[in-house]
Amino acid sequence: MSQADGENILCSPISGIGRRLTDASNVLGLMDFSLAARSGVRGHGAREWLASRGLPSDIAPNHISDASDQGLVMALSQREFWLLQPDADANVQQPASNALAPGAWPLYCQHSHAWLMLIGEPKAAMMAKLCGVDLRECAFPIGQVAQTQMAHVSVVIAHHDYQDEAVFSLFVDQSLAEYAAGALTDAISEFNPPGV
Amino acid sequence: MKIMHCPLNGPRNISEFTYGGQVLAMPDPERCSDREWSHYVFYADNTIGVVREWWQHTPSSYWFIAERHNGSDDILRTYDPGELFSAQGDLTEGGASP
Repeated sequence: MSQADGENILCSPISGIGRRLTDASNVLGLMDFSLAARSGVRGHGAREWLASRGLPSDIAPNHISDASDQGLVMALSQREFWLLQPDADANVQQPASNALAPGAWPLYCQHSHAWLMLIGEPKAAMMAKLCGVDLRECAFPIGQVAQTQMAHVSVVIAHHDYQDEAVFSLFVDQSLAEYAAGALTDAISEFNPPGV
Repeated sequence: MKIMHCPLNGPRNISEFTYGGQVLAMPDPERCSDREWSHYVFYADNTIGVVREWWQHTPSSYWFIAERHNGSDDILRTYDPGELFSAQGDLTEGGASP
């Protein structure tokens, strides 16, 4: 993904651009983390593989857990997990044909999915324009993950902390990233003060 | 919009789901006749009443089973295929309960 021309709403921490436009928490912002590291593991041995790496392995499906300096671990089913590292650069991974361990196979979510991060207090109200799932704090607290649709495209939404702020990480198919970012920035513009 | 309950993801708009056909026990592909195989692949009973169907929650690629009355279109129950099939990938007659 590239930055939105002239709007500065999409800003990549990888490129060194500031992570937000303003410090005001009631202003929405959208960041592109597509160049940050993320990898996945799937199979009946996936939980054992996570445990062998010192990562949280008892996560229920559709939940995300902090793995301290190793990032975050997101469970998408009983046998599929993504390891998210927002502060690390994307990296080259081993071929898909190589099992990580017996019954544990790598997933290439780094290549398949763009990673956007939505910040700001009105994020749940804004997302209500685009998504049928109730994302308010009372129904979708930190640690929850929703696999659903946003603006008619499939999306994984994870509610977690990043740099001491509650954020939504949004994962959409790479081929739909530009469309999704456009839909999000359009919706954001209705909530942010004029000129932001 | 109509709501369907996904066993993995909870209630979701029906537009998030894809129909996958009637749940049928798969005949042994090495031993069955062409006629038996074509019935399994292409045909459905198409009788009115409660039917057992494959559905997929598209955003999570999760396949599950729904029991639906095809007259009223009421979805009566949804559940993980593990309730019906003894092992992952085993769709043979021995793998499915009657």
